[in-house]
Amino acid sequence: MSVPAENDSLLRDIRILDLADEKASFCSRLLADMGARVIKVEKPGGDSSRSIGPFLRNSPHPERSLFFYHNNTNKLGITLNLENSIGREIFCTLLKGTDVVVETFPPGYLKNLGLGFEALCEINPRLILVSVTGFGQNGPRMNHKSCDLVASAMSGQMYVSGSPSTPPLKPFGEQSYYTASLFAAVGILLALRKRNRSGKGEHIDISLQEAATSTLEHVMIRYFYDHIIPKRQGRVYWNNAFYIAPCKDGFILVTLLHQWETLVEWMDSEGMADDLTEETWNDEQYRLQRRDHVIEVLNRWTKTHTTGELFEMGQLMGFPWAPICSAQEVVESPQLRARGLFRTTDHPEIGTSLTYPGLPYKFNAPVTKQVGRAPLIGEHNVQVLQRELGLSRREIRRLSSIGAI
Amino acid sequence: MDEEILSGVRVLDFTRVLAGPYATRILADFGAEVIKIQSKKTAGGAESNRTGYFNTFNRNKRSITLDMNYPEAREVALRLAAISDVVMENFSPRVMSNWGLNYEKLTEVRPDLIMVSMSGMGQTGPWRDFVALGPTIQALSGLTYLTSFKEDSPLGLGYSYADTVVGLYAALAVLAALEYRDRIGVGLYVDLSEYEAACTLMGPTFLDILANHKDVLPQGNQSDYMPAAPYGCYGCSGKDRWCVIAVFNEAEWQALCTVMGSPAWSREKRFSTLSQRKIHAGELDELLGQWTGKHRAEELVCLLQEAGVPAGVVQSAEDLAGDPHLKSRDYFVQLEHPMLGKTISDASPIQFSDTTRADWKAAPSLGEDNQYVYMELLGLRESELSSYLERGIVG
Repeated sequence: MSVPAENDSLLRDIRILDLADEKASFCSRLLADMGARVIKVEKPGGDSSRSIGPFLRNSPHPERSLFFYHNNTNKLGITLNLENSIGREIFCTLLKGTDVVVETFPPGYLKNLGLGFEALCEINPRLILVSVTGFGQNGPRMNHKSCDLVASAMSGQMYVSGSPSTPPLKPFGEQSYYTASLFAAVGILLALRKRNRSGKGEHIDISLQEAATSTLEHVMIRYFYDHIIPKRQGRVYWNNAFYIAPCKDGFILVTLLHQWETLVEWMDSEGMADDLTEETWNDEQYRLQRRDHVIEVLNRWTKTHTTGELFEMGQLMGFPWAPICSAQEVVESPQLRARGLFRTTDHPEIGTSLTYPGLPYKFNAPVTKQVGRAPLIGEHNVQVLQRELGLSRREIRRLSSIGAI
Repeated sequence: MDEEILSGVRVLDFTRVLAGPYATRILADFGAEVIKIQSKKTAGGAESNRTGYFNTFNRNKRSITLDMNYPEAREVALRLAAISDVVMENFSPRVMSNWGLNYEKLTEVRPDLIMVSMSGMGQTGPWRDFVALGPTIQALSGLTYLTSFKEDSPLGLGYSYADTVVGLYAALAVLAALEYRDRIGVGLYVDLSEYEAACTLMGPTFLDILANHKDVLPQGNQSDYMPAAPYGCYGCSGKDRWCVIAVFNEAEWQALCTVMGSPAWSREKRFSTLSQRKIHAGELDELLGQWTGKHRAEELVCLLQEAGVPAGVVQSAEDLAGDPHLKSRDYFVQLEHPMLGKTISDASPIQFSDTTRADWKAAPSLGEDNQYVYMELLGLRESELSSYLERGIVG
């Protein structure tokens, strides 16, 4: 097998300016973890996403947002006031050596500052601009305000999550931001490849609504092909394949149709199969018509076990079952521990170290980066402006005093 | 026609069902030549070429049949790998090795090959052989538990969300590895764990638990961490109609009050600041819900957005299919399928300034490209292909 001798990251030569707030700061984090050089450009005082919790030691502070930490690992941080002409000048100078700009401003904001895609292209024709907004750069709703809750509602995620007796349910966390960031990151790598051929940059337009709608799996397919409007089904999965059953110590996701005879044999060996041993139940359609009875018998049986017992035994027999794990249980997972997903990162600025989940992929060569902590507000102003722009410390102090950085 | 972004990139695609096919669909949409390996024996369920599910996730790909149970089929697969840039698979960890098609073997015939293995748990660890589908992964990662209103009543998402996300990570890994190969001249092997991919979607949750030593519990549509109130889902007039409203700052709160016609309760001290509104969120939601319940969701959202308040309709599949905004952005694409007729699917949310979908085609029928792949690409003689067909190796 050929493995490169030198330590060289996947995206070594790519420089990204990250103007994104919470909606897409995860995008350049994904690429920073692959070795891209990412400079986070925040407004003086820091990005708005620093006000989103949770906070370290539960004390709200712009330098203690764990949300910000998570989305901005392996980045450098500078502050720059784009609404100030000198700030814009510095930004334009930085653009010259930059491959990608990621931004999340309302459509038209950058253009009004004289920083629209055409203007940026005049400075750097090879520039790739990625705009991530609630509804995209055009269309009747382009100026509507959004956030993860709005994106989740408008995308169809909420309508099909929850139970018939509850309101629609938003997926936990900020899922539209993460999926939009993933689509944006894929878009950036595609645009870089395109640029290798054409020599020209690109403006990529990502909408939170569309990113979230794109994750809907069966939902639109059943509408377009079977004229069904999928609804909330609670603990039973849409196609009856899965069901969340109660155990002694919690809940387990079990299958209702998979390897039926094996399942009945297992339950029967413990005297808990009731009438399900009768041959009529082998017919899947028959079972589906009497689903509630199957669930009732199953519940009686699962309640005599712990989630751990059923998970272990079930997996041995090839059932794709799993306990409904709390986040606390995830950090204790023996599989994740064996794979080294959670790694400690130094935070000398706060005199501690924190444990982060790393990347979900392992390459056969050292081409990705370990998690390095997010930058403090303006932490690399001097380093970036001196090295990239050749400014003197005195000049940097002057820019700071007039509010440009 | 060598104009598409991934023209000239050939992907040998062993993946099945959703996560893998979603990854290779992204590559196919942008011009890669994706050759999907199927067989008559395995082309059922989500892998049946005649279903809407298959057609949605396998457009723009080629299909060949190859029954991997035959040793000769594995030799053919090796020859196909030799003329491919990327091999993708989502079997249990032992399958490719058992066929003699692990990365080491494949790089003997194609030294700069990129290979991505996508499995539920990853290629190593005590759970490596565990079986997992999207909902299994969502349960294990904490996503199901936290997507619930109460801790003693887990609900989770109503669909296989994790699969799309895993597919995105796989596509990202392929594109990064291509960038690397083009610069250094070396291929890479990627071991992608679906379980770990789902864990990255938990955001700062694990950091919070490990740094602050506390339990994180399900909160339904609320979030202690979101600097917003009101922030939630509210019933509207009509059957199962809902809207969401999120108010982050004073200007948005004032705008909401104006749209409501400034009711007396909105001026009470307990709702006067964001922190007061967060403390009294339950009462606030109750009062707001009484107002929204009298109006149509679409009307409310229109009024609120015009006034500058983040709001949205909880859209169903029917709403999405008719959504004028998505229509104006060509979010859905229509492709003609020889058996299914006119078919509609989501295009790609990655919109380039000059995207064309002129060459897009519906998913292939089973073995549609046998002749092209085996004869034109691999150089088999017609008699060799017929012999493989007769013996069921290509079948």
